[in-house]
Amino acid sequence: MSALVRGLLQPLMLPAHALALLAFGLLIGQQRVPWRLLALAAFVAGLAGGLAAIALAVGQTPAADVLLAAAGLAGLLVAIGRPPPALACVLLAAVAGMALGLDSPPEAISIAVATTMLIGTALGASLALALVVAGASYVGAQKWAAPRIGMRVLGSWIAASALLVLALRFARGQLF
Amino acid sequence: MTTHRELAIAVATAFLLIVPTCSPAFAHTGSGSGGFVGGFLHPVFGPDHVVAMVAVGLWGAFLGPPAIWLLPIVFPLVMAGGGVLGILGVPLPGVEIGIAISAIVLGLMVALAARPPLWVAAVLVGAFAIFHGHAHGAELPPGTDAVAFSVGFVVATGLLHLTGIAFGLLARWPAGRVTVRAAGGAIALAGLAFLSGIG
Repeated sequence: MSALVRGLLQPLMLPAHALALLAFGLLIGQQRVPWRLLALAAFVAGLAGGLAAIALAVGQTPAADVLLAAAGLAGLLVAIGRPPPALACVLLAAVAGMALGLDSPPEAISIAVATTMLIGTALGASLALALVVAGASYVGAQKWAAPRIGMRVLGSWIAASALLVLALRFARGQLF
Repeated sequence: MTTHRELAIAVATAFLLIVPTCSPAFAHTGSGSGGFVGGFLHPVFGPDHVVAMVAVGLWGAFLGPPAIWLLPIVFPLVMAGGGVLGILGVPLPGVEIGIAISAIVLGLMVALAARPPLWVAAVLVGAFAIFHGHAHGAELPPGTDAVAFSVGFVVATGLLHLTGIAFGLLARWPAGRVTVRAAGGAIALAGLAFLSGIG
């Protein structure tokens, strides 16, 4: 498998990353159009920043825990069914993007392969998030309530999963 | 109202349903493996958990909107809170008793076609969710992929709710209503079996 494809798939293969992308896709999809695009852009900018920091060989960070906490919060906000203020959503998306980037160190020996993987990760995560946002905004615009309720149920599942994992990490002394 | 007649039929059917399913000690066996599949199978292998989850869905379907979707949203969130207590080792007295009682109470709510205010239903379901979450949180196997395990665990719980909701939608028809109430009675009896140590 090429480095680009490995990078593309990485956000989908790591459960915590996939969970965060789903949570933020659902959350951003609830926003009105200009803010929706801004939140998406903030996530991508944060992601690029995080990946750039990785490329500059930043040290150990609590990015994994921050990402899970952000995903849990996003899931909770989706479950509650009341979208947060747009600016808060944008900031949260930027933090999540940054955390996802910082938590995606490529497993590669050469710099060229590592860089290609990082580019792949940026593309994969951005594309996956955009797809979920598009799906969530489409579902949110429908008159039929069931899919919207389904999204809220999904949000509650994400929040519950994230909370359990954070507690487990805390109990094992691995949190932050 | 045909409530009493429905109840009598429901109880009789419940006995017919529950008696052949009685078997010794099977509560909270867990799956013992990690990852998504391990987490998914964890609640499925705990019959006391299964019947209570199905009862939540049944009751939600019986109560109709908004309870039909509110209860399955409340449950996992509060259950995670209970799970945190279990993971952190915070003692909660009578966890297994609470779980058995949850099956009894939720089953009876369905069997009796109880329609309390929504907040009462949510508080009741939420209170029991703490016991279920605590039990499973305390049993999370070490060294597993925590995220995949937790997602599997929560998804399985949610799907059990959906199973209850799907079955509970039969209550739209008179015959289905009796069947759903009978199922509630069966769940209450199963909870009684768990409580008495038969199950």
